[in-house]
Amino acid sequence: MTRVKCSKLRGKKPDELQKQLEELRQELNTLRVGKVTGSGGAQKLGKIRNVRKSIARVLIVTHQTTKDNLRALYHGKKYKPKDLRRRKTRAIRRLLTPKEKSIQLRKVQRRQWAFPQRTFAVKA
Amino acid sequence: MGPKKETKEASASAKKKDTSAATTTATASAKKPTKPTGSATTATKVVTKERKEKVKSTALKAKQRVVRGNQLTRKRKIRTKPRFRRPFTLRLQRQPKYPRRSVPKRNRLDHFAIIKYPLTTESAMKKIEDNNTLVFIVNIRANKPLIRQAVKKMYDVDAEKVNTLIRPDGEKKAYVRLKADHDALDVANRIGII
Repeated sequence: MTRVKCSKLRGKKPDELQKQLEELRQELNTLRVGKVTGSGGAQKLGKIRNVRKSIARVLIVTHQTTKDNLRALYHGKKYKPKDLRRRKTRAIRRLLTPKEKSIQLRKVQRRQWAFPQRTFAVKA
Repeated sequence: MGPKKETKEASASAKKKDTSAATTTATASAKKPTKPTGSATTATKVVTKERKEKVKSTALKAKQRVVRGNQLTRKRKIRTKPRFRRPFTLRLQRQPKYPRRSVPKRNRLDHFAIIKYPLTTESAMKKIEDNNTLVFIVNIRANKPLIRQAVKKMYDVDAEKVNTLIRPDGEKKAYVRLKADHDALDVANRIGII
């Protein structure tokens, strides 16, 4: 069987992907049986690796498309699932937001408005 | 002035009729005619207004008490047992505003993962022929019911019983005895061992 390509998989529907996954898994099963019984030979044994990686590719594509769809679904909503939120680091997530940081006392705001930093220049 | 007073009295009495405060109505009605006659014409207006408001408020309070139930002078609950048990309170179900995980975890121990491969050693062959059992190497985290289900799904056979042991090299071996209406030899041929 030829190698399964990710680019080809991305076009498929989820049902088709599931079916392909099942097929690949069955194939892997038979290959493993063949390995134990001693049949097949080097070619069949080499195929095992290909099939394993193909299964991985199908799962990757399935998962990626699901995640992308979910991100589109939750885009703009206030409450998102935690794994769709930005990850960064724990400390950064707990910092003050830029808006919270920019809050100033009324007194300070007035002072800044009334007495801003002035620039002077000497006339040539 | 006259007709005004009468209408006020009428409205006040109508309000009184709604409530069950009998004493207040009696005293109010008794007091009402006496006070205004005793004072001057300008003062009477003020007095009647105050009096009316007081009557109104007491009447309203009484009405509210009847509707709401008296909370200020409530009767104490009689407790007949010395022990206080925590009362049953309302327990609401969870209604999360968002799922914590966007995608639920997939089952990593599915049928394909449970059964790794069948054994084809001499003793395993003997088991197939004599005891109608198949021998599998199985995921170590699988238990007997799971193994039974996996065999059923993969090979369409019913197991009579499943015996498991953990090999010294860390793998789990499962002896799956098939039901009498299945033939282990046929199934083995179908799978590919033989």
